[in-house]
Amino acid sequence: MKRKTAYILLICLTFLCITLCPACSGKKDNNAPLPISHFEPLNEIKAGRKNVYLIIKVMDSSYWKVIVNGARDAGEVLDCNIYYGGTTIETDWEGQQVLINEALESKADAMIIAPDDSIELAADINRIHDLGKPVVLIDTAANTNSFDICYMTDNLLAGQQAAAEMLNQLKRTGHDTEAVLSVGIMVGSAKSQTINERLAGFYKYWTENAPEKWTIISDIMNCNGKVDLGFDLARDFLKQHPETAGLYGTNNGPTRAICGVVKEQSRTDLVVVGFDYSDEMKELIELPEYPASTMLQRQYDMGNLAVGSVMDLLNGDTPPLKFVDTGVVTVNTDTLSDPEVTEVLERN
Amino acid sequence: MKRKAGNVIRPKNTNDEKDISFIKGGRSFYMTLILCLIIFFAAIALLIAAFNRLISRHDQKLSGEICTLMSEKMNSSIEFMTETTHGMASVLSAQAFNSPKDIYNVLKGNTKADYLSVGFIDAAMHIYATPEEMEEFEKWELLETAKVAHPVSMSAPYRSSVFGQPVITLFSDFQYGNNQRGYMFTTYLLKDLQEVAVTESLGDKIEIWLMDANSANTIQCVGADEHATGSWTNAYLTMQNVSRKDVNVYEDWLKRVRNLEDNIGTSYSTSETFYSQYCSKISSLPGWYVVVRIPGDALSATMTAFRTYIFLFLAVLLVVVIVLIGNMYRLSKRDNEMLKSLSIHDPLTGAFNRRAFDLAAEKLLFRGKNSGRSCALIFFDIDYFKQVNDQFGHDAGDQLLIAFCDALRKNFSDTGIIARFGGDEFVVLTEMENIRAIASKLDQTTEDVHAIDLNDDKHEGRGFMISFSAGAANFPDDSADLSGLKKCADAALYETKEKGRNGYLWYSEIGSSAPPKKKVVKKIIRKKIIKKTVKTQD
Repeated sequence: MKRKTAYILLICLTFLCITLCPACSGKKDNNAPLPISHFEPLNEIKAGRKNVYLIIKVMDSSYWKVIVNGARDAGEVLDCNIYYGGTTIETDWEGQQVLINEALESKADAMIIAPDDSIELAADINRIHDLGKPVVLIDTAANTNSFDICYMTDNLLAGQQAAAEMLNQLKRTGHDTEAVLSVGIMVGSAKSQTINERLAGFYKYWTENAPEKWTIISDIMNCNGKVDLGFDLARDFLKQHPETAGLYGTNNGPTRAICGVVKEQSRTDLVVVGFDYSDEMKELIELPEYPASTMLQRQYDMGNLAVGSVMDLLNGDTPPLKFVDTGVVTVNTDTLSDPEVTEVLERN
Repeated sequence: MKRKAGNVIRPKNTNDEKDISFIKGGRSFYMTLILCLIIFFAAIALLIAAFNRLISRHDQKLSGEICTLMSEKMNSSIEFMTETTHGMASVLSAQAFNSPKDIYNVLKGNTKADYLSVGFIDAAMHIYATPEEMEEFEKWELLETAKVAHPVSMSAPYRSSVFGQPVITLFSDFQYGNNQRGYMFTTYLLKDLQEVAVTESLGDKIEIWLMDANSANTIQCVGADEHATGSWTNAYLTMQNVSRKDVNVYEDWLKRVRNLEDNIGTSYSTSETFYSQYCSKISSLPGWYVVVRIPGDALSATMTAFRTYIFLFLAVLLVVVIVLIGNMYRLSKRDNEMLKSLSIHDPLTGAFNRRAFDLAAEKLLFRGKNSGRSCALIFFDIDYFKQVNDQFGHDAGDQLLIAFCDALRKNFSDTGIIARFGGDEFVVLTEMENIRAIASKLDQTTEDVHAIDLNDDKHEGRGFMISFSAGAANFPDDSADLSGLKKCADAALYETKEKGRNGYLWYSEIGSSAPPKKKVVKKIIRKKIIKKTVKTQD
């Protein structure tokens, strides 16, 4: 018995030693691939027309449906076949790699891509470009020069606009510029270029324009693309920082989570600024007691203009610019009936 | 049924281990081995920790120096760009132009330059550039940067609509016409900074950013992934990835940067890597820093490999040592068992010797004292043993002793210890539930002893009945220590002998008129022995 115990202890000790030994440590990635939506025709496929492949970020998303609508409408007008596919979450760049390969195998004439990761997909975009196929980016730029044109929100500027709106709302709701005040931030990913630029833009504008005693809480929440996690993070954050006067969501997921928690806790004292017009944000904006604003991108234009540029490129035209900022409109209770906002909302 | 007495050569006593455990403590070789292994592993862990600390300190110092050099190099590359722009502006200053438009035309005519675009701002702050470039001026407020060019200034990085990439615009003031002050600007790809600053050694490990101290925004210039160049982030978001123990260190570094201190270094761990980080101011871009970061393992790859070899060597050494110790242990265990057995046992009967009995008895009594259980110490003496020796020889005597001990062992070894005190004297110390239980065991022993058949082969001892006398003492009633118990039991034995042998008495019964207790199987054992003696003499 003692001998058995001794052997077991010996094995455990050896195992412990090997496990703890830094020289023997190694990383294992056991993440299973996430499901993706393979390509489907977006409009009626007709022989003899150019085949354009559209790769979006999140298939089951109202935001991306608007982009798809813009592309479909352009496809009808410009007489081309459009196929579209995408991933289930906006950080699954590996899923997009699979889709890029599928599109190339299907002899795509051109591709419109909304990269899930600006850095990780740069090499794939280079590859498409090297094959002489037009590549148009939408929503997010890639860190490469090998694309023809990019239609997106300049997120650094959009982040600045969001910070300006946060300051406006805080002042409008009666916060004293001489009093101490702080706001919190939730991001949807630490790796997304879009999100990082919106964060950087927010910080830039805030540090240059906010009253001296108004600060950003350095504890930045990251929900990693998971709205449920965002809810939990927001609840905990408000518990830990009861002094919070405003919350900023850098993209759709965190904005939904922030809006949900603010509504759940009836925090009419909290200013919410986010992105996109999710149901949660729509509900807050339509209730005048909640000071909420969202930065609405012109995503319909992104999809629509991208198809137009693809056809120009296939016809041999070179666009004058490589980067077109489609801009954002600020939507809040006051601007809800502005014609510009109404037009964007109708398209959305 | 008569039992034949056992052989003189005793088989290994199966009770040896139990007997030994009565004397020695419970710590075994295996426990000692485990203790040694724990000490060994603890020593290895300490060694590795010390080694890691040494590497870490070495890395920190070296990476700090490399960071300093890299930030100086980066600063130099920015200065090189601004000097180029300033040099061009100086050349323009030396020339006479009729109108600002002429200056712009000269600038645009230079097609061999490395910059993406070039232009001119006159004294009235009118911009001479393409319409797209003029839009950039408005969008990114570049005129504000131009105004602080004394003699040069640099814009914060921005994404150019024309080129679709992050760029920087450099401004240099110069004199033209009638002492009018204008600004020349050149736009470069941010990537160009990477090409100037990149170094071949550690090229895929070093990361370099430009950082706005005010907002803590950073834009990457150099990194392991070339596609990451131009990507923005914020240092506070980076801080979320810093390990909890280093968050304060990182935050302190950020505070010092935001307070515009110069040449600030720090080191911290993320969930994956240990980093050294250093920053220095960019002279041409007030409020901006060059930040250089190096992962700790970039410098210590060789040392880390060496550490792995040490660990593997020690692991192999450990296995070899364990195998050798195991073999040595098996050999020494065999010898030790023999020696132990000899040192504590009576070689003839296998019972404890007197010394071993005393040690084991003390332990047993101590246990009894603690648990509150009673014990009985019983002295046995084989009746008329001398005559057996004299009449049937010493071999027969030895056989009798063995058989007698076996009888004792059979009845008492489950609850006690048995010893031979010398000659035909045996002693048993046994735990006792009650006197009746001991009496029952003594009766059974009497029966077993009576059944011993001497020299069955020669038929010389057949028909002779062996008996014993015994004296018992009760612990703790009669005495609470071993020495006292022995005296009591000895007195009881003496009394039994005095009262005719072949029986036993408790110490408490001494002085009573009652005869020794006995289980009567056959009477007149003595007569048979005497009869045989007479025959032999004849």
